[in-house]
Amino acid sequence: MKARDKEEYLSEYEILKKKGKSFFPYAIVKDSVMFVLVAAVLILMSIVMGAEQGPKADPTTTTYVPRPEWYFFFLFELLKVIKPPALVPLATIGIPTICMILLILLPFYDRNPERIPWKRPVASISGILVIVAMGYLTYMGASAGSPNEIELETAPEFEQGKQVVAQAGCLACHNIGENGAEGGLGPNLTEIGAMLPREAIKRSVAIGPGIMPSYRGLGEKKLNEVADYLASLD
Amino acid sequence: MALKIPIPGRKKETAPEPGDGAANGNGASPNGTNGDGPTRAEKVAKVKEATVHHGTAAAKNTTDWLDERVNGTGIYTAMLSRKVPKGTNWFYTLGSSVMFIFSMQAITGVFLAMYYTPSATEAYSSISHITNEVFLGEFVRGLHKWGASLMIILIFLHMARTFFFGAYKYPRELNWVIGVVLIVLTMVMGLTGYLLPFDQRSFWATIVANNITASGPVLGPYLADFLRAGPDFSATTLSRFYALHMLVVPGLIGGLIAAHLFLVVKLGTTAPPWIKAPRPKGSRPSELVPAGVPMVDATEMSLNGHSGNGHVEVSENGASLPTAETDGAAEGPPSEGEAS
Ligand code: HEM
Repeated sequence: MKARDKEEYLSEYEILKKKGKSFFPYAIVKDSVMFVLVAAVLILMSIVMGAEQGPKADPTTTTYVPRPEWYFFFLFELLKVIKPPALVPLATIGIPTICMILLILLPFYDRNPERIPWKRPVASISGILVIVAMGYLTYMGASAGSPNEIELETAPEFEQGKQVVAQAGCLACHNIGENGAEGGLGPNLTEIGAMLPREAIKRSVAIGPGIMPSYRGLGEKKLNEVADYLASLD
Repeated sequence: MALKIPIPGRKKETAPEPGDGAANGNGASPNGTNGDGPTRAEKVAKVKEATVHHGTAAAKNTTDWLDERVNGTGIYTAMLSRKVPKGTNWFYTLGSSVMFIFSMQAITGVFLAMYYTPSATEAYSSISHITNEVFLGEFVRGLHKWGASLMIILIFLHMARTFFFGAYKYPRELNWVIGVVLIVLTMVMGLTGYLLPFDQRSFWATIVANNITASGPVLGPYLADFLRAGPDFSATTLSRFYALHMLVVPGLIGGLIAAHLFLVVKLGTTAPPWIKAPRPKGSRPSELVPAGVPMVDATEMSLNGHSGNGHVEVSENGASLPTAETDGAAEGPPSEGEAS
């Protein structure tokens, strides 16, 4: 902003402020009405929805759904958009960091003195696009199906492993057949047996490569069942 | 130094008649002496006099006493009787709603902390205890849990408001920067708080969040190790998240809200951008308000009073001529020809 623009803004502002009303009581009244509204919504929400408690945390368990709070869905979904493993750090840290920097520096690169939304279309349209994108990603995250079911038929000897995979919530990030996260965080496992040998599959499940958690807690027996089942998928 | 705080109520009676701007020179004198102010003896006499003449005014005495020391009147005028510009509408209540809900979180959080045990073995059962046995326990947990979601919604709406109103532009850039830090810290509150109930969902989600952190370049693994308190998720992880969630991050948020509000009061809130000041035809805006006069109210100046030299003479219409020092602090308009 040029010195001239600044001066003009300040003098205009001074006039508008002189013509304004006193914060007390005029603005305070509006604020208080809003407080009452917010408090009412909050009280209603906690009465209607309460505060559930899930089953106790258990590192050795096989049933969990690793989902963040809804307001992190957009970040979580962003990970699913970017597939190649080499680019995962870009999605997890890179893009959010770049967005934060862009956001924090906004007043320093947007030097247009204009403030009326429809007279600065680039800023306004970018803002709307960001809101739409975040809304869409949040919706995607919210509508992801239950990750505890696998419909794909399998031979009886692998049934045990299939149950473990279903209950362990692998499908929160992976797909098997028709089930699982559409375009999930992790690779599609429908034909994993054709791509990786059994031992490599077992090692991955135990270690949890990249952002995947380690499943060593399942224990040797269940790990073997999982590996047998996944190796049978081809 | 203590008496240098300008006391609006008093100044009229005791300060010598200000010649235009002359008193300002005094106020800003580098040695900090209170050239135009009353001497201590004069003040004491004044208070005595007041006591004699209004013997019943014990309450007034108390307020005077406090005023003389903390300048409550100044703070009151600066915070409450400041003006909000023409056109201020409901969108301007979003910021204070965020503050309101943050206070709710603080209060409900304190009550939860009275019953919560941040240990891997007892966290879950202490939450069960709160939910099932403590009087109104589940209700308070609900308030805290849903309050977090509401706070996120309101803070995003507030940010959207300031974005579309162009309120982040000169001279409020700093307030935007503080705001972005606040929104990040609020998300950190959500992240650290999510683990505390220590049920399956929160446990595993936190593990994934940590792995995500660890996948970051350069600092990622270190940050993840710090959050986990070691290479593996352990009992210490929970107490570390708890300390962050109930001490460190809320402390930072509280401090930054104070800074944010200080700037809001000091700079004033924007008018909606489509509201224009009617001005006489042909006149340039700079003719209406003399150039070089910072657009700061007398009431706002008293917030600066504590800086020592912030003597401000209030003229009849409330306009003020601040001292050189406060001028700098307020980032007054640039003099002609200064590059932007
Ligand atoms: C804990 C979070 C926050 C609190 C308690 C808070 C509080 C407030 C309050 C009470 C105001 C006065 C005007 C209004 O209510 O609209 C304000 C103004 C402002 N806030 Fe915030 N805010 C927060 C977060 C943010 C965020 C995330 C941003 C943007 C990134 C932001 C940017 C601004 C700006 C630019 C103004 C000046 C607006 C104007 O003058 O019209 N704030 N804030």
